[in-house]
Amino acid sequence: MAKILIAEDEPDIRILVKFTLEFAGHQVVTVENGVEALETVPSVMPDLVLMDVRMPRMDGYEACIAIKKDPSTQHIPVVFLSAKGQEAEIRTGLEAGAVEYLLKPFAPDDLTERVNEILARYGKS
Amino acid sequence: MSAILIGSEIVHYEVLGRGRPLIFLHGWVGSWRYWIPVMQATSISYRAYALDLWGFGDTAKKEALYQPEEQVKLIDAFLNQLGIGRIALIGHGLGAMVALMYAAHFPDAVDRVMAISHPIDGSMINNRLRSSQPASLADWLLERNPMTDPVRMDAARADPKALAIALDYLSTTTFPEIWNRSQTACLLIHGQNDPAILSPTVEQMMAMPSQVHAIGFEDSGHFPMLEESSKFNRLMVDFLALTSGESPKQLQLKEEWKRRVR
Repeated sequence: MAKILIAEDEPDIRILVKFTLEFAGHQVVTVENGVEALETVPSVMPDLVLMDVRMPRMDGYEACIAIKKDPSTQHIPVVFLSAKGQEAEIRTGLEAGAVEYLLKPFAPDDLTERVNEILARYGKS
Repeated sequence: MSAILIGSEIVHYEVLGRGRPLIFLHGWVGSWRYWIPVMQATSISYRAYALDLWGFGDTAKKEALYQPEEQVKLIDAFLNQLGIGRIALIGHGLGAMVALMYAAHFPDAVDRVMAISHPIDGSMINNRLRSSQPASLADWLLERNPMTDPVRMDAARADPKALAIALDYLSTTTFPEIWNRSQTACLLIHGQNDPAILSPTVEQMMAMPSQVHAIGFEDSGHFPMLEESSKFNRLMVDFLALTSGESPKQLQLKEEWKRRVR
């Protein structure tokens, strides 16, 4: 079981992803924007952050860069979940420090498998 | 679909299923997308990955990366970055060449290779493959139907230089030269109506080492996995089910198992 933080402003997606990963046995914390992500990550110290790109107050790119700049949180893998698949957006996300950029839509089973793989890759499963 | 950085370049891939890892490598025309029906066929027992090679699909297009050795390094980096262990490789055309080269370079990492529409030597390649643009190759090699739409969509996005560099390499290298460096079990698949790549001759098949077996699909052209998908999937599943190190020479084409309806 791992601790996963989801930063997603769309409530339906946030609830679906939370339910999917809790059903898979993980502990899930949710926030609604990049500012809340930055406030929550140091206290929760998740094993993985799943981040939307387009969020109010602070977007996922800025939040990812900030997480990766902080010595206490830079080790935490960040994965973008986004419907935006243009090359420039993907490159921005990966160069911000994300380990992977997942394009929506995805089936719940697929998301669970990918999350488990990423956690195993970083020794967090 | 996912994207990762390898070196500082974007690589796109898709993954389906659970179980032992398989890596699917696309050919001269198209991208990872045309493997989807085959990946779905394996998804119950295998974790199937398909990626776009340098110069194709959504993966980065940089001429310096198009040499076959760089494509081989891409596979190695991909496996290392995703933490994937010993694999079975299924490659088509260009992807078959990369798969065979990878298995020769890294025999401990590859359990078996399925090589589809791969020329035994450069003389078996139709010159039209060298002289045409990727989009027109799709029209030449494929009938128009929904199964082939993914190939067409992606064909025009390939960098023609990626194709040209790979074909230049094949013009000067033979399959036995690649294969003599490897002892990995290999199943060669050819469509006997393939206008781009000639099937191996009987003499060539007789000269193949014990770990290599060739099977022809009578009613297929360049894309047997799309044109005779049931037979292809069944053969692939049988090949993947062989014990590690077992020779594929016993394998034969079979019709797909059908439930008897009273």
